[in-house]
Amino acid sequence: MIDVVLLGCEHLPHARSYAGALQRSHGGRLVGVHDGSPEFGGPLAEELDVAFDADAARLIDQFRPAAAVVCSATARHRELVDLAASHGVHVLCEKPLATTVADAAAMVATCRERDVQLHTAFVSRFYPSILQARDLIARGELGRVRGMVGGNRGRPPLAPRYPSWITEAEAAGGGALIDHSVHVLDAMRFVTGLEAEEVLAETATLFVDADVEDSALVSVVFAGDVPASIDPSWSVTPDTPWDYDFYLRLLGTDGSLTISTGRESLHVSGRYGERTHALQPFEPDIDQAMVEAFLQSVAAGRVLDPCATGEDGLRAVEVACAAYASVEREQFVPTAGGNG
Amino acid sequence: MVRIGIVGAGYIAGSHAEAYAAHPGAEIVYVVDPVVAKAAALAEQYSAQPLADIDALLASDVEAISVCTPSPTHADVVVAALAAGKHVLCEKPVARTLVDAERIVEAGHRGPGLLMIGHVSRFEPDHRAARDAVLAGRIGEVRMMSQTITGVLPEWSEQAWLEDPDQSGGPLVDLAIHSFDYLTWVCGARPQRVHAVGASRPDGLVDYAIATVCYDNGALAVVETSWAHPAGHGMELSTELSGSAGRITWDYAGTAVGSVKRAGALPRAISQLGNRGFVAEIDAFLEAVETGGPSPVPAEEGLLALEIALAAVESLRTRRTVYLPCRETESS
Repeated sequence: MIDVVLLGCEHLPHARSYAGALQRSHGGRLVGVHDGSPEFGGPLAEELDVAFDADAARLIDQFRPAAAVVCSATARHRELVDLAASHGVHVLCEKPLATTVADAAAMVATCRERDVQLHTAFVSRFYPSILQARDLIARGELGRVRGMVGGNRGRPPLAPRYPSWITEAEAAGGGALIDHSVHVLDAMRFVTGLEAEEVLAETATLFVDADVEDSALVSVVFAGDVPASIDPSWSVTPDTPWDYDFYLRLLGTDGSLTISTGRESLHVSGRYGERTHALQPFEPDIDQAMVEAFLQSVAAGRVLDPCATGEDGLRAVEVACAAYASVEREQFVPTAGGNG
Repeated sequence: MVRIGIVGAGYIAGSHAEAYAAHPGAEIVYVVDPVVAKAAALAEQYSAQPLADIDALLASDVEAISVCTPSPTHADVVVAALAAGKHVLCEKPVARTLVDAERIVEAGHRGPGLLMIGHVSRFEPDHRAARDAVLAGRIGEVRMMSQTITGVLPEWSEQAWLEDPDQSGGPLVDLAIHSFDYLTWVCGARPQRVHAVGASRPDGLVDYAIATVCYDNGALAVVETSWAHPAGHGMELSTELSGSAGRITWDYAGTAVGSVKRAGALPRAISQLGNRGFVAEIDAFLEAVETGGPSPVPAEEGLLALEIALAAVESLRTRRTVYLPCRETESS
């Protein structure tokens, strides 16, 4: 049984979901919750029936866990990951890994030095359809990859469901672009094995009153001049009968592939607050699958497939930061130079 | 009866001819194509006469002409036809180059006949229903749009002119022009800047591309276009219009009313769209001819769609965001 602490719960819906997955798991258990704010973290710990400590180091010293899940505001990921690593604690870190390339790279380096696993919470890899797509591409069924379009749109993460930091540039690293593009970028890398080389994005605030962008279109050129486009927008309006989507279309020399995970749902006509139509999804629980794979990796002493590593998280942050730089420059920006 | 001449007897001419034939007020009289056998075949189908060159057509008593020739020839044919006093329906894209497109716009202003650009998407029942819903305020103000139209390389073009980027511009110009025009028409804003990514065949034809368009009201659009998708699936289309208060989506797979599955064969969709878009387009053209206008799709709007397409092509070359030329608003 692997003891796990939750470090930071400002990414509340995900913190709650991962905590629930830990409580259901037979491979590990949640033993404590930390958050900088007792008003915020205390009630969650109580709800989960585990200890709370506003001092993360003290929580780790008290429980000596083997693993931690970091779900703080993104700008604080580095501090908490470094702390866990310095105690020899393996980490599953919420995405995006960091708000800057420098932070993400430092986290990867620290965890390597301390010989602890760093996982990035790219849950999309755990969709059975995405795994199938990867295997099918690897077998060469579609020939050489020639282009991709993907998206991950969601409802704007506004209060009361979300804390306010997620729409603050400093704490979150930006808006919808960094929040959602990292999932799609990672899925594209994961499925094709290709690395992003250049990026050019457009951003806009079109749906909500926020200081950060709620909409973006990110054009990416992968190795071998493979074009791609990502829609990470918070463009799901209140009346839309679904909350979020995840899709990937891929063209190869010998065929094409389309995945749209939201199709795995029932259409229900009925009363849903203001709405009369909603989708009732019956997707597999990818959060549970990711948490189990993290625990199995900790038990095995190595990162197991298909878990995303810190490097995978870093690659996605590089692309997101280069995308922001490209908005100003209005030209393709190399992904490695995005933050410098 | 409006007497009709069709210039060009290729694939799209067949769609025009079928729609004219369905119209009670039109009669196809001549079909012109330098490939005599093609002109003869299409003419015979509609009891019309084949002609080998356009001069004879322009000297004839036809009142209206559909221009269904390869894009680089549009300008000469349209300018001559208007000068000869004919009404003209010019297939999309309006032209292959901005210079040609501007010649066509000017000729349209001189008239005296009516000039319409054949942006058939505006007349397709699915597209039309979506735009009607937008105009009815069902989704608020349009903010984010996407359209993908993908298919196999068209095999019908004479001497494969569609495969020659100099002649057709590839799918970014020949196919995505539908999306550029339709999305601009739907959102009612002015396209401001464009960037694109694409993939080339070994011979240099960019047969797959994704273009991002920003409008002057802040709205964004992304357009995927392809002649690289594997054969056997037909043309696939999906569209999404996201507004401040809602969203409209549809795709061909989801709106097909039936399907046929035969042993040992690929499944085939039963769609009711058929030729309804062209029938509605030609209805609109002939009605405008009869009433004296205005043009259902003015050449300026064809030019605007072409500007987006050519900006996307330019962006592939420069790897930068490309701003559209700033034009003074026409005062009426």
